[in-house]
Amino acid sequence: MIAAVAGVLAAQDIKEFEKKVTEFVLPNGLHFLIVERHDAPAVSFHTYVRVGSANDPAGHTGLTYLFERVSLTGTENIGSKGWTEERKALDAVENLYDSLENERNLGPKASQPRIETLQTQLRLAIDTAQRFGLPDAYRDFIEEGGGTKAAVHTTPDGSECEYSLPSNRIELWFLMESQRLMRPVFRDFYAERDTLLETVQKRDAAGPGRATNAFLAAAFEAHPYRNPVAGWPSDLANLRRTDARAFFEKYYVPGNVVMALVGDVNPAEAKRLAEKYFGAWAARPLPPQVSTQEPPQLGPRTAMLESEGRPVTVIGYKRPSVFDKDDAALDLLQIVLTQGRAGLLYKELVTDKHYAQSVRASSTFPAGRYPNSFVFILTPGPGHTVEENQRTLEEFLNRLKQQRLDPGTMDRARAQARAQFINRLSGNAGLAGMLGFYQANFGDWRKLFVNLDAYAKVTADDMQRVLIKYFVPMTRTTVSAVLPGQMTLMPAPPPEKRAGDKQ
Amino acid sequence: MRRRPFARLYDAPETSRGREGAVACILLALLASAAAAQPTVSPQTPPEKPRAAAPAVVTIPGPKDLKFPPLRAVQPPNLVSATLPNGMKISLLEDHDLPTIHGVALVRAGSLLDPPEKIGLAALTGTLLRSGGTAAKTPDQMDNMLETMAASIDSGADESSIRAGFAALKENAGAVLGLLRETLAQPEFRQDKLDVLRAQMRAAIAQRNDDATRLVHREFASAIYGRDNPYGWVSQYANVDRISRNDVRAFYRRYFFPANVTLALWGDFEAASMKAAIEKEFAGWNEAAQPAPVFPQVKDAPAPGVYLAEIKDTGNAYFAIGHLDGRIDDKDLPALQIMSTILGNGPRGRLAEKARAKTGAPHEIRASWIAAHDHPGLFEISGSTRGVGAVDVIKVIQGEIERIRTTEVTEEELRDAREGLLNATVFAFDTKAKLITRSVTLDYFGYPKDYVQQYQKALQAVTRADVLRVAKQHIAPAKLTIVVAVNPQMLGEPLSSLGGTVSTIDLTIPEARAEAVETTDASRAEGKLLLQKAQAAMGGAERLAAVKDYTETASYQLDVSVPNMGGATVSETDRWIAPTSFRQESVLPGGRVAVYTDGKLGWITTPQGWGALSGIQQKQVYGDLFRSWFRLILSDRIEGRTVNAVDSTSVEIIDGAGQEAKIEFDPASGLPRRITYDTPQPVGAPLFTEDVVEDYREVDGIKLPFKATINQSGRRFAEVTVTEYKINSGLKVPDLARRPM
Repeated sequence: MIAAVAGVLAAQDIKEFEKKVTEFVLPNGLHFLIVERHDAPAVSFHTYVRVGSANDPAGHTGLTYLFERVSLTGTENIGSKGWTEERKALDAVENLYDSLENERNLGPKASQPRIETLQTQLRLAIDTAQRFGLPDAYRDFIEEGGGTKAAVHTTPDGSECEYSLPSNRIELWFLMESQRLMRPVFRDFYAERDTLLETVQKRDAAGPGRATNAFLAAAFEAHPYRNPVAGWPSDLANLRRTDARAFFEKYYVPGNVVMALVGDVNPAEAKRLAEKYFGAWAARPLPPQVSTQEPPQLGPRTAMLESEGRPVTVIGYKRPSVFDKDDAALDLLQIVLTQGRAGLLYKELVTDKHYAQSVRASSTFPAGRYPNSFVFILTPGPGHTVEENQRTLEEFLNRLKQQRLDPGTMDRARAQARAQFINRLSGNAGLAGMLGFYQANFGDWRKLFVNLDAYAKVTADDMQRVLIKYFVPMTRTTVSAVLPGQMTLMPAPPPEKRAGDKQ
Repeated sequence: MRRRPFARLYDAPETSRGREGAVACILLALLASAAAAQPTVSPQTPPEKPRAAAPAVVTIPGPKDLKFPPLRAVQPPNLVSATLPNGMKISLLEDHDLPTIHGVALVRAGSLLDPPEKIGLAALTGTLLRSGGTAAKTPDQMDNMLETMAASIDSGADESSIRAGFAALKENAGAVLGLLRETLAQPEFRQDKLDVLRAQMRAAIAQRNDDATRLVHREFASAIYGRDNPYGWVSQYANVDRISRNDVRAFYRRYFFPANVTLALWGDFEAASMKAAIEKEFAGWNEAAQPAPVFPQVKDAPAPGVYLAEIKDTGNAYFAIGHLDGRIDDKDLPALQIMSTILGNGPRGRLAEKARAKTGAPHEIRASWIAAHDHPGLFEISGSTRGVGAVDVIKVIQGEIERIRTTEVTEEELRDAREGLLNATVFAFDTKAKLITRSVTLDYFGYPKDYVQQYQKALQAVTRADVLRVAKQHIAPAKLTIVVAVNPQMLGEPLSSLGGTVSTIDLTIPEARAEAVETTDASRAEGKLLLQKAQAAMGGAERLAAVKDYTETASYQLDVSVPNMGGATVSETDRWIAPTSFRQESVLPGGRVAVYTDGKLGWITTPQGWGALSGIQQKQVYGDLFRSWFRLILSDRIEGRTVNAVDSTSVEIIDGAGQEAKIEFDPASGLPRRITYDTPQPVGAPLFTEDVVEDYREVDGIKLPFKATINQSGRRFAEVTVTEYKINSGLKVPDLARRPM
């Protein structure tokens, strides 16, 4: 009954929304989505580029992530004290880097003194080039124009850049964004690279990021989802500005980009500005999709690592991409199991047994365009081990496979999925992000509402079916991070009966 | 798929590097409410320009060459306002964009109305309103119902209001509105939730000097407003401990009546039918109106001078400089805000630039003219620097204050500051939620409906001469209060070189026991009565007195935050024989520890060896013996112990040897529910400790608690589960006194 009502509402939403959405594609393939909301004189802008860390070339992991950062250091016109001189200085850096690499490539025959000389010269050249640049200028212009809520995101599937401006400054966004995407110069590339490298190393030294990175490397043998978004440190350390240039030319083509504008904007005016600023962006062939496919997983995988910080265990099961018909059911399953105090797994592991201090899950990890995994991240409670948690999760999932979820639980999950989805559409920035994401990944922003509808249609039978189908030991990967010196290398003992386990 | 479930792992730092904060901050503080209503309507969209022909060859301008149309004024929301028959005011805003409904109830109360001995009462009441459940629903039932509907209700207090907000899908609006009504009209303020909150407030007090930036802001406000009134005072442990459920209820009864509440709703509804629905829902809430609460006045008693807050563990100095300023309705406000933006808008402000030039280091220095709606706010310049250059930086600031009072700012500075403030106004009103809540808040403080439009217009009109005039008129260099938090040894030059005397701020956090309870014959008699009532509830004084020995076996689950042993499970066995033979054995992760005392002498054994009981261990064991169940509860029969009523539900027990404990009784059952005392520490002050006991079960006709939560200094220490009590099992003193080998 409730499901039927929700379905009707979703269908109405799309009709209402279609009236407000203006969609146009420039001849070069650049796709625009505009939604008018005139409540306040503000506009949110969102650029989604269909290139993510899964597209990082082999040996160049971290490039997409670094690229998004460096793209904000300006263009030939913005942020240069004198482009002719700066360009010469930047070229000199690359020439020295070439010589250095040539020498290194000699391998055992390389001359160490020459390498050292070249390294010193390279450092000096980088310093010289920095003197011609104002790497903050680009960001300062946006900020002075009233830019707020600015952020860049890189995921395995996409790269996004967003901010909001007062609506009298729409043209500023067109100017700044077109220059960023059409004429970047990757100023300060090496300084940004080294900062990122330092951040990555610091983060990897401790923290849950290490366990999830190890999980990805264990769960994916071949597919690039196995690589960390911010790259492997040794890859990062050797990234070149010329790599960024080549990467940019291949992936940053207008047909690979969706731009969403939401707020106090006149679509006709936006179209005129789009033509003015992006019209000259030359059409180029679309970049290739990731062709590597993850081979079938033929048995459970387990890995352990020592790490400072709280012990954690990451357990994942393989699942298909978000384009699969089971996507909605898997999302609902995540809600049923771990969302809020009523989450069934939360109740089992945290509230009732105290085995875990926190239980999180993601239905789509690390991203969704390609087959990925449904992961649980469990933090053992005081006095309890990762093994105990793993075993209990396994038993719990097996029990769940034998039963149909009751209508109350299903209604709660559907309502929460729907509410979360709708809440993301409420702000201008959120809506712009969602439109860009759906257009870029599903080829049509309307899929946003189709997906919303799909939640209402998931039945308890569907839930049971996906549990049985995907949550099988054969495709399971388990990674645990424990404190140094606390690794149990012996097989886990059978579960002890403890007084007070059950209240 | 739902987006970015793990975005946290990937999110890059914000492109703007967090600088936008400065301007926004000032404005948001100012407009913490400012919204609009009157039609100063300007065109909805920028005027259409003639279309460019084919964009064959276009010269792309630089960002500086762009000319922007004037900013459209913030649109007034189309509110439907009404007063219901029971006196409650409502404001409704239709918004059919998405199938959701949001709302907030605003109650005229707040921390400015805290009684001086119970600072924190409004905050407790505000939070407990939702977390304490309602008469008909326990907090868990509330949580479950809301979760099932994917809805939420939250409540809390600020200086001058208590707010309860909600969010719901349209189809659940009726049900959630019902829960909101229960929350407002029939809150239950359950005791266990009150205990949790008090523990959290104690923890917040314990940590309040940990963050130097917050410390400086707090002490700055206290120095200027004075510490004897709600604008400047600071809550202490004693305040928190003193707040009982009765106090919360009384505070609630004084301020929660329909005529003191404004309910604002926005979302996908039709205003007329929503108004009818609210009226029906709240029809039964008819508490009589009481006098409208009046917030206290600020007294203008400037406290110029330099104040030092000594901190350790850092080479940095944190400072705040300023004095009392005015209210939001001051007609000079726009010019004053432009002035403070020019002085201290993050790294590009005058102050940061001059400080960098002087010391060579980058600085984050902010200047804010934080006016308030109904009382004078603060003009505050704040920031941090290396201790060694602190005095230099403060002198730079003094110099810049003088300069802005004597020389006109440049046209460019004026323009940039004005643009920044106008832009911030846009984003202070960029959602329906901000529009309506700010609009309702303005109304709450009696501001005109078109306040925001007036403000925007006034900002546009400010001239360089205005800025000079207001700086001269409003900034009083002789009245400046300077607060510096620093390790004085890190200073390059003493603070006294800033001129005048330097006063040191006392940052000690006094323990709760400082003030003694008044002891009279009447209070002693009442204390005895309370204790005897508890004895009766536990099974009768005679039955308790007949206990000659007992054994208690328990498991202590230590909280993860406990130093060294966090997260461990400790099992403990206590054995006692009347009157004072006491043995305690513990199994710790590091091995076994046993202690014994006959009330005077004793021994201790640890994995490292054994010895006579002395020092800190002796003190702790004496405390445990003092509080051992049957002795504590029969304290009125033990010579040398005084039992004294603290209030109608608690007693204080003191013996001649310096032991002291307080028992709070459950008013319904009469059983002890909370025991508080000090735990001596090897170094430093004793820790305030509380045992919250529950799960009473009968053992040989006596009711004893099987669960306890122990908090120390407001932080969770352990959860205790008793596995067994054995009573009168014939323990022998020699067995207890025998040391394990």
